[in-house]
Amino acid sequence: MRLDHEFTVPAPIGEVWQAVVDPERVAPCMPGATLTKVEGDRFSGTVKVKLGPISLLYKGNGEFLEKDEKAHKVTIKASGKDSRGAGTAAATVTLTLTEADGGTHGTVATDLAITGKPAQFGRGLISEVGGKILDTFAGCLSGKLAPAEAAAPVAEPAAEPVPDRAGPAAEPTATAEPVAKPQPAVKPAPTTAEINTEPKAKPAADRPALHSVPAPPETEAIDLLDYAGQSVLKRLAPVLIAVAAVAGLVAIVRALRK
Amino acid sequence: MIPAPFDYVRPSTVDEAVQALAAAGEDAKVLAGGQSLLPVLRMRLAAPTTLVDLGRVAELRGVREDGDTLVIGAMTTHYDVQRDALVAEHAALLKGATDTVADPQIRHRGTLGGAIAHADPAGDLLAPVLALDASLVVAGPSGRRTVPAADFFRDLFTTALAPDELLVEIRIPKHTGWRAHYEKFNRVTQAWSMVAVAVTVRTEAGVIEEARVALTNMGSTPVRASGVESALVGVQASADSIAAAASHAAEGTNPPVDGNADVEYRRHLAKVLTGRAIAAAAGA
Repeated sequence: MRLDHEFTVPAPIGEVWQAVVDPERVAPCMPGATLTKVEGDRFSGTVKVKLGPISLLYKGNGEFLEKDEKAHKVTIKASGKDSRGAGTAAATVTLTLTEADGGTHGTVATDLAITGKPAQFGRGLISEVGGKILDTFAGCLSGKLAPAEAAAPVAEPAAEPVPDRAGPAAEPTATAEPVAKPQPAVKPAPTTAEINTEPKAKPAADRPALHSVPAPPETEAIDLLDYAGQSVLKRLAPVLIAVAAVAGLVAIVRALRK
Repeated sequence: MIPAPFDYVRPSTVDEAVQALAAAGEDAKVLAGGQSLLPVLRMRLAAPTTLVDLGRVAELRGVREDGDTLVIGAMTTHYDVQRDALVAEHAALLKGATDTVADPQIRHRGTLGGAIAHADPAGDLLAPVLALDASLVVAGPSGRRTVPAADFFRDLFTTALAPDELLVEIRIPKHTGWRAHYEKFNRVTQAWSMVAVAVTVRTEAGVIEEARVALTNMGSTPVRASGVESALVGVQASADSIAAAASHAAEGTNPPVDGNADVEYRRHLAKVLTGRAIAAAAGA
């Protein structure tokens, strides 16, 4: 089954991309999700989901199939399983950012395959709950981008409004491309599970420059930079899978009462 | 399947229940009639640390009058609501909807408060509670507070209840003499509503003086159909006037999509069912 969601963040596409690939900034925006392991393009994560009577600890893993910074498009494939054996699901998630009027438009296409009992549920609840999660995510991201943007006007490239918002992969101008963060040649895989879970309540002044090369980060952040890239999607995929599972379980809950 | 292990507490008063809930922490769960929670536990879709069973809290059962208000204890079963003379007289809409809930076995175990706290948007008792402008009394560590039904249902399975709070009473302003009808559409008698419409009206000499209309499963919470309500006031109930009012039923709704129905079909159902419910309630 195919699910489509959209969100809009009122910030330039370069900033959004940069933010999206900076797990430290966006991690707190994804509720309940934690990366437990990252090895190259493969990753594992857990998602704790609470919805009404249902409370699940969902474990997912997956790999990252494509990252196209020019097209601002990332594709990952992930599968997951409830830790208590309630169901399994697999998903391919594609996130595409395009420039929109005064901001950035994100589309998330999820191709979902579900086996077992959850297969009986409809797409309505999944789509609805997935949409709510993305709304939360986008709202949180907007909140994080706004102060950073104000604090780093120098790094801001000349905003060039691109009217073609229909283009699936609007090619950003070269100046709109953010300065890439230096990637360490060697990428030791971080294994700590806590890296993304603690609240990041730093004021904007602490993190002034979105586009400039960051100051030497704390030890935690070094690990994060190692896999800066698709962490958000890596987190998003388990979330979507968990959402799908929960929606299925809701259907089961109802089915059991019939 | 067998549920994951949990601690079990069976208090006999509301105060004890509130204390037990507070002591058990945020992974505790309140057990009312268990008609939704127990399947969840047996499927291991949840593993609460503690269950606080309200089954022996006698003060939470029963229906009484308090001036112009009907007070229903949260642990009153659907069966008892159906059979209660006060409910029939002062909240006919709630009785009509309760009659359609699931099957007799579930109605003997399931409770009004449990259904409201569970807040499944396809559940049949949320729309009547909303339409009747009920107030929900909630008990927690800092005492009791009252939440209007319009503010209680926040989202899918989500209410204004905090994890350490219990729903204790449903207070419904008496709608004495109001006629009512709950029109439910589903494919199997005991199933959840695909869409349903709760209507209650006060008529005088064939003219609708006041109307309350709410929809089941047309969004992530029950929805008040205020467009229909205002179109009904002051109107002589007739096929034309009912059709005109019912045409507003889907306004502002955001119905779910599932294997049974898509958005357009649900909106269509809402209009048709609203027309039928008004006709049944207003006697046109």
